[in-house]
Amino acid sequence: MNLNFFDQFSSPSLLGIPLILIAMMFPALLLPSPGNRWINNRLSTLQLWFINLITKQLMIPLDKKGHKWALILTSLMMFLLLTNLLGLLPYTFTPTTQLSMNLALAFPLWLATLLTGLRNQPSVSLGHLLPEGTPTLLIPALILIETTSLLIRPLALGVRLTANLTAGHLLIQLISTATTTLMTTMPVVSLLTLAVLLLLTILEVAVAMIQAYVFVLLLSLYLQENI
Amino acid sequence: LTRSLVPSAPAALRALPPPVAVGVLHTTRPLHTTQQSLAPLPPLPEKGGEVRHGLIPEEFFQFLYPKTGVTGPYMLGTGLLLYFLSKEIYVINHETVAAACILTVIIYGIKKFGADVAAFADKLNEEKMAAAVAMKNEAIQTLQTAIEEEKKEQWRVEGRSFLFDAKRNNIAMLLETNYRERLLMVYNEVKKRLDYQVAMQNLRRQKEQEHMIQWVEKNVVQSITPQQQKESIAKCILDLKALSKSAHAAV
Repeated sequence: MNLNFFDQFSSPSLLGIPLILIAMMFPALLLPSPGNRWINNRLSTLQLWFINLITKQLMIPLDKKGHKWALILTSLMMFLLLTNLLGLLPYTFTPTTQLSMNLALAFPLWLATLLTGLRNQPSVSLGHLLPEGTPTLLIPALILIETTSLLIRPLALGVRLTANLTAGHLLIQLISTATTTLMTTMPVVSLLTLAVLLLLTILEVAVAMIQAYVFVLLLSLYLQENI
Repeated sequence: LTRSLVPSAPAALRALPPPVAVGVLHTTRPLHTTQQSLAPLPPLPEKGGEVRHGLIPEEFFQFLYPKTGVTGPYMLGTGLLLYFLSKEIYVINHETVAAACILTVIIYGIKKFGADVAAFADKLNEEKMAAAVAMKNEAIQTLQTAIEEEKKEQWRVEGRSFLFDAKRNNIAMLLETNYRERLLMVYNEVKKRLDYQVAMQNLRRQKEQEHMIQWVEKNVVQSITPQQQKESIAKCILDLKALSKSAHAAV
């Protein structure tokens, strides 16, 4: 297989059949469904513990109305976490490198928080556009700035995730290409780049987990403002 | 719900008011007529399947053992790998290096933290069990304490007769005391009446005496004539003189 650097980001297809849906649904296969036992096996116990941890972390700042969002936020977190981590394996396609998918996740959720806020407590939601204690002269400018920052949020969410993962994957590809090319001519330098690649891989694992967490955390923060 | 259940029920059931009818319907529904398929579940095996090198199940090695011996699967693996490499079915490119790195990280992570994570999962399950077992033991303890208490109460019941005797004696004493008090009261009242009569008699006698003395004195004084008075006074004076003379002589 001869790959250029961007083949990994193209939407996978087999004989013209798009496989993107399978790629997106695959992480769900890795999660065991909780059986009808009281004491489960280790994987189910750990999964349950982890999901409880995430849900509690996300839901503590929210009041009772926000708890309706628990399911979608937790499942979003699990999806992003698994997708990002699985994408680090070789020859795998990471759906979250596609801007289309990330915007499709970010935009509706952000819009939902915004509309919830505007519908239930419009003045409080609009009040967030003006931070407390600003000097009177700055008010018009600040309102414009805050509105812009509000409207740019879905873009920021989507692009942040896409950019982080795409950049990480590209860097891995580039450095491993350098390692491969240098192996024949300057093996010692190749070993150096290999060391860099190892560190980068560890970084990418961390970034994968952090980006998933940040995405969901920001959504929960937007929810806190508006619920 | 009542409207859906009750029309299909017999007429006697329908005669009852709807809340009662539903309750009767629920209690007469047959319970637990079949073995539930959910319980008891077969127990989970203690250990997972044996795996060699973290990936390949032990059964594969056992499967190849009769034909190829111990080194068979390893020869197969090496041969396959070399075949893929030499025929360039698997091409070595940059992804290989990336694969090597991520696999290093994964294997290092599993080797270092695997046992701890497994112990943590076991600990979570143990805590769950321990909580339930603790509840069960506490319930057993409470019931045993209740049994002890009950036995003590039964022992106390045996002493009931003594208690009743004591109470009976108490009451008898109270009655006796009350009777004696009333007796005393009666005696005192009667005595008061009799004392009154006695006092009346004494008073009458005293008055009669006084009156008689007064009458006698009055009559005596009246009967004394003036002549007799002078004579008696002179006699008294003579007597006194005589007495005084004798007194002077005595001194």
